Amino acid sequence: MSTNYDNQNSADLDEVGDNAIEAKETEGLSQGRIVFQKFLRHKGAMISIGVLAIVALFAFTALGVGAIPGWWQFTHTASGPVVNPGGAPTWSLSNIFSPGQHPFGQDEIGRDNFARVMKGTQISLVVMVIIGAVCLVIGTVVGALAGYYRGWIDSVLMRITDAFVILPVIVVGSILGVLVGGASGPMLGLALGAILWVGLARLVRGDFLSLREREFVDSARVAGASDFRIMFKHMLPNAMGVIIVNTTLIMSQAIVLEASLSYLGFGIQPPGISLGQLISEYQTSFATRPWLFWWPGLFIIVIALCVNFIGDGLRDAFDPRMKTIPSWRKMKKAERMAQKGAKR
Amino acid sequence: MIRFILRRLLSTALVLLVVTFVLYLLLNVALDFFWDLRASTSPNIAALYESRTRLLDLDTPAVVRYFKWLAGVGGCVVGQCDLGIAWKSGQEVTDQLQGAIVNTIKLITASTIVAIILGIAVGMISAIRQYSGFDYFITFVSFLLYSLPVFWVAVLLKQYGAIEINNFINDPTLSSWVPIILVCLAMGLFWMGALGGGAKRRLITFSAASIITFATIYYILASGWLQQPSIGIVGIIVIGAGAAVVMTFLSTGLKNKRVLYATLSIAVIGALLYMPLQYLFYYVEMNWLWMFGLLIVAIGVAVAVGLAFRGPDPWDTVRTTSFTAIIIAFLIFADRVLQGWTEYSNDPAINNRPIATIGASAPNMDGDFWLTNLDSFTHLLLPSIALILISFASYTRYTRGSMLEVMGQDYIRTARAKGLNERTVIMRHALRNALLPLASIIPVDIITMIGGAVITETIFGWNGMGKLFIDSMRQSELDPIMAYILITGLLAIIANLVADFLYAVLDPRIRVNA
Amino acid sequence: MTAQSESQTPVEKGTPILDVNDLGVSFWVSDEWWTAAEGLNYTVNAGEVLAIVGESGSGKSQSSMSLLGLLPSNGRATGSAKLNGTELIGMPQERMQRIRGNEISVIFQEPMTALNPVYTAGYQIVETLRVHLDIGPTEAKERALELMRLVEMPDPEDRFHSFPHQLSGGQRQRIMIAQALACQPKLLIADEPTTALDVTVQAEILKLMRELKSKLDAGIILITHDMGVVADMADRIIVMRAGRVVEAGSADEIFYAPQHPYTKQLLEAVPHLGAGADGAVFGSNLDAVESISSAHREEEEIDPHIDGSRDSLDSTHAGSATVVEGGGSRTDDLDTESREIAERGKVDHQIEMDSTETYYHPGSQADFSQPSALQLRDAAIEYPAIGRKKAFRAAHHINLMVSPGEVVGLVGESGSGKTTIGRAALGLLPTVEGDMVVNGKSIKGLSNKQMRPLRKEVGIVFQDPGSSLNPRLPVGESIGEPLYLHEGMKGPALSKRVEDLLSAVELPTSMRNRYPHELSGGQRQRIGIARALTLRPKLLIADEPTSALDVSVQAKVLDLFEGLQKEYGFACLFISHDLAVIERIASRIAVMRHGYLVEIGKSSQVVANPVHPYTQRLLSAVPVPDPKEQRKRREARDAVLEATANA
Repeated sequence: MSTNYDNQNSADLDEVGDNAIEAKETEGLSQGRIVFQKFLRHKGAMISIGVLAIVALFAFTALGVGAIPGWWQFTHTASGPVVNPGGAPTWSLSNIFSPGQHPFGQDEIGRDNFARVMKGTQISLVVMVIIGAVCLVIGTVVGALAGYYRGWIDSVLMRITDAFVILPVIVVGSILGVLVGGASGPMLGLALGAILWVGLARLVRGDFLSLREREFVDSARVAGASDFRIMFKHMLPNAMGVIIVNTTLIMSQAIVLEASLSYLGFGIQPPGISLGQLISEYQTSFATRPWLFWWPGLFIIVIALCVNFIGDGLRDAFDPRMKTIPSWRKMKKAERMAQKGAKR
Repeated sequence: MIRFILRRLLSTALVLLVVTFVLYLLLNVALDFFWDLRASTSPNIAALYESRTRLLDLDTPAVVRYFKWLAGVGGCVVGQCDLGIAWKSGQEVTDQLQGAIVNTIKLITASTIVAIILGIAVGMISAIRQYSGFDYFITFVSFLLYSLPVFWVAVLLKQYGAIEINNFINDPTLSSWVPIILVCLAMGLFWMGALGGGAKRRLITFSAASIITFATIYYILASGWLQQPSIGIVGIIVIGAGAAVVMTFLSTGLKNKRVLYATLSIAVIGALLYMPLQYLFYYVEMNWLWMFGLLIVAIGVAVAVGLAFRGPDPWDTVRTTSFTAIIIAFLIFADRVLQGWTEYSNDPAINNRPIATIGASAPNMDGDFWLTNLDSFTHLLLPSIALILISFASYTRYTRGSMLEVMGQDYIRTARAKGLNERTVIMRHALRNALLPLASIIPVDIITMIGGAVITETIFGWNGMGKLFIDSMRQSELDPIMAYILITGLLAIIANLVADFLYAVLDPRIRVNA
Repeated sequence: MTAQSESQTPVEKGTPILDVNDLGVSFWVSDEWWTAAEGLNYTVNAGEVLAIVGESGSGKSQSSMSLLGLLPSNGRATGSAKLNGTELIGMPQERMQRIRGNEISVIFQEPMTALNPVYTAGYQIVETLRVHLDIGPTEAKERALELMRLVEMPDPEDRFHSFPHQLSGGQRQRIMIAQALACQPKLLIADEPTTALDVTVQAEILKLMRELKSKLDAGIILITHDMGVVADMADRIIVMRAGRVVEAGSADEIFYAPQHPYTKQLLEAVPHLGAGADGAVFGSNLDAVESISSAHREEEEIDPHIDGSRDSLDSTHAGSATVVEGGGSRTDDLDTESREIAERGKVDHQIEMDSTETYYHPGSQADFSQPSALQLRDAAIEYPAIGRKKAFRAAHHINLMVSPGEVVGLVGESGSGKTTIGRAALGLLPTVEGDMVVNGKSIKGLSNKQMRPLRKEVGIVFQDPGSSLNPRLPVGESIGEPLYLHEGMKGPALSKRVEDLLSAVELPTSMRNRYPHELSGGQRQRIGIARALTLRPKLLIADEPTSALDVSVQAKVLDLFEGLQKEYGFACLFISHDLAVIERIASRIAVMRHGYLVEIGKSSQVVANPVHPYTQRLLSAVPVPDPKEQRKRREARDAVLEATANA
């Protein structure tokens, strides 16, 4: 019992609050740092970031960007002599440390599959990032305005959302894909971004609708803040969680969507190159040259999976209800230790 | 409530109208109506261009043409549909649509139902076992499924789900037991994770699941079941009794002996009716109406049995017996369909390669009711799996999230504090509430399904709406594309409506207030 | 089912039911065990109420939940708790399920969320009955209806089929209690059973619980932070702080001879209704109340429809700058009042519960010709329409004036429209009728931009200190924002002012770089006050500034507030549901009900001589932290509740 109690200490009583457990977890950290630390603890997301970074590094350095040359000896267009019979990969599990000349194999006219997959990855990543950026900007601005001002801009946004509830994205995407006419990656990215922002806008709107009822917004208004300041200085930082998480998730959808469209022939078309387009081009040779099919598919999956996991890690990090996962093993161990200690 | 739904209906219909208008104009810019003439060296090229322009009425402004098209659509209300023609093939769009709509609905309904049931079950278990190995595994699998491009999976399915299996059926020699043992151990781990419990219980579950899986696989291989698949009276008795026990467990708990006996009686009745039904199937030409009638009879019997056993809660009993009866009826149906397997396999149109990779039905295939059904099931198999894989993940994630949310609610604590057991807390108090938000994602998911069907249908040559859309896009045929947009839009609106009703039925806060 | 047969055997009053020995609860947080409670020893006897009192974080709830094995998955319980000799701690799940709801049952705090929204109220009671007793649905329904009658549920047959969202908060809590009593438990744990309820509803539930206590022989553990509730219910008391018991004893010992300094401090911190009243607080003895309630009854017998016609009154109000409504200062002075009313050509003798007219105590008439910090002239305030949702009028015909430097308390229960008025005074909600004058300027119909210069002179302190500070801004920045926006102050000058303000609210200046979540509730509310005072406003709106705080913190914040008010001399509209707090801080009190201002007068007048039956009801419902006084008040309360039951 606290016998040495005196009134001078009474202010300390305040510290024992309802959120004692929470406070203990977050001692001395800013909101951003808490999120960041939680994110760092998410193993899946951390591994994914590593893998994605390596993939991107390879894709961009192997063939170079624009005029800058890469370190890989072949380009994605040049055909060369077929090394292994049928163009089979020179790299296999048995000689894993010597990738050889054509680690991913060659196609029927001797083009290097590694170079093609890297080039495809490059384009697919660019498309993905452009889609993400377009969605981020349009989605945030429209969603914020609709949620804050409501009124007509909100009605229009909701009707546009309705449109995407009655039509599959891939259908609209195909039509836009044909419209931009099998153009370059960036163009396709812009076109697809122009339809994928809707989901994000709706979520940002929802967040803003609830944020505008929060008392700190009133408090800022009473302090004399303008609408613009309230929206961007006060509300936006609080909506960052929703925005970042969902942009990530849109990007993971985007890479699969781009691949699907290119596969169907409405996205990137030859001589343009992307992962989906590669699969489309080589699907018939699955029985004879399976490596041409496996590698681009694998890269789509790895990229999408990584982005998904990063999104999941971000969501957990931003979710205030998400507590640190209690590790059962550690908990039991500590309990056993405690019991032992009690016996002694 | 009605007013709310009507208003929603009206507003979505208006949106659909605007969408068709915008897309019509966009398509006019995007599509190249002369693509086949571009490379032509024909001397009368100018005339060809001109006749094409006349055929498609391209001199009229697109806006005007849209309203002409809309007038044709409006004709549907009075039974005189004019959705235009697919100019390349010269077919009427209405003719093209007839089979396509049915095929697509067949594909999507089957996949949606399976995906929902599986997704909810797995998501629920994953939530209950939060942060367990099972949960992490399911999370990983669902992310993997999110990341899989459908077209890529479809190609793999064709190869490994059809070609290899067909090969194996024809030449059932196993090169190695290792993969099978791995599969058995994996099943053991899966069930261990799903059922959980203490160390002892886990060990028991693990061994039991592994051994049962191994026994099943061994039986299938040793008895040549794959060449001659059937369920038979024994299968019906065993699976029926199993279904009775599981249903009782889920619905009222095994402690309720009365319900258990009632469902077991249903299993016995099913087994007793097996032989008489075989005679009926043999002597009378069956059709879907008969099947429906028999299902009604089965449910009728179940209700009667349930009420006969009564118990303190007759309706709980009836609910449980009815579900059991539906399962057993389905088993008997499946058994009868499988009886045609040999005949089907040996049919020259099939040529001993029963699992189909292309089309919605085998050409030149004619048989009775059972055979045509078997045929359409073998064709449905692969595209359905491809579609299920996509939406299974989203249902799992959604159910898991919603279940976790609900499990943290105060009323779950109240339910526990009342002394309810975990089964009741989860099935009665948590699941019901967790399903509410799910009702709102079903329409969204159906749209995703329709989108997914565009790709699956194209790859599996399934003559549905999606394939029609893609083919028409490739051929620059405007009218079928517009028809596709119109019809999927309508389907989506109907799906939305159903979901709204569902929501209202499930949630008293909406139902009672409106 | 042995557990079941045991529950039916009657337990004699006074025999120990629960014996708790060295009970501890800890949680697994950040890779270590964090102790929420430890070293608890107590017994609960049959027919006795043991109150566990403590502020938030004292571990009072968790320790009780551990008795039922209802701790979250990262929690564990140690020690021993024996229910009639059966050890509860570490009991296997299956056996525990037979005890929960059957031998030990719980009444939870939030009736709003503690009932499953998709099942009917009746079903949820029936469910409890049928889990533990082997009875059929018909019998269970009979029993459930019986229980609903026992908890005095109006129209039990109808309510049986109602879903929780169709019931009021009080009715839901009654269902909760009925459900808890279903199997005649030996031990009842009431976890803050009335905290989420309005004070008059709380009074009804407390009355019910007392009646039940005498009918049943269950031992009751009452977990609460409210000393008034404790004084009303408890036989014995345990005071907890930070997971430990600091003092235990009988109710009289704890209230009249507290030993531990924390207990003393806790008791001192509780605002005591009637501290500043001229005479005795209304409802302190039965006689004064009875005259009123009997008058009510007679009234109803004579003429059930005497509701004054609102419209005629409106016309007299409209346009007149000075509203003078006479009225006797004493309620029992019926003659004067009826004469006056008769003069106005009305049949009204006695104010009806549903009367929407404002009763002005002498000296409280709104004289709009005087200088003022805030004037509401026959104002009506609406929540604007959003989409298809219609506009909702939350306050009607309000005449209210706050003089410069004056503190006016605005009191009412949830949904009374008190917060609406505060928000409208800040221009956050539109005044649609009448006029709203802030610091001499009308703000009716002003846009956000036009409001901005006026906002310099108004400040607000919100209820929830957690949500009124931007979680993404360091608190120093939040405090400095008004200075930056209105005076363009930046850099060192701004820092200096922020530090000054922090010391003014008795916080260390180093706190300016902290984020809101790093501060305790009391500290956050100090920041909230500092921010409101940054520009030295002439008018401050304080919207329930202390209701989210623990009592001891509340007391300190109120002290601070009073000090600052004297120093800065701002006028204040102090909004609260807590009459004791209002009485302490305000010189005049305005009472709101259902969007109407029903009574206004000097604090002492309103507290000692309320005129409107609603005010009477409100006053008598407040439990005071003094068992003896509360015993007297209880009788008065029950009489008033009876008399004004159909409110």
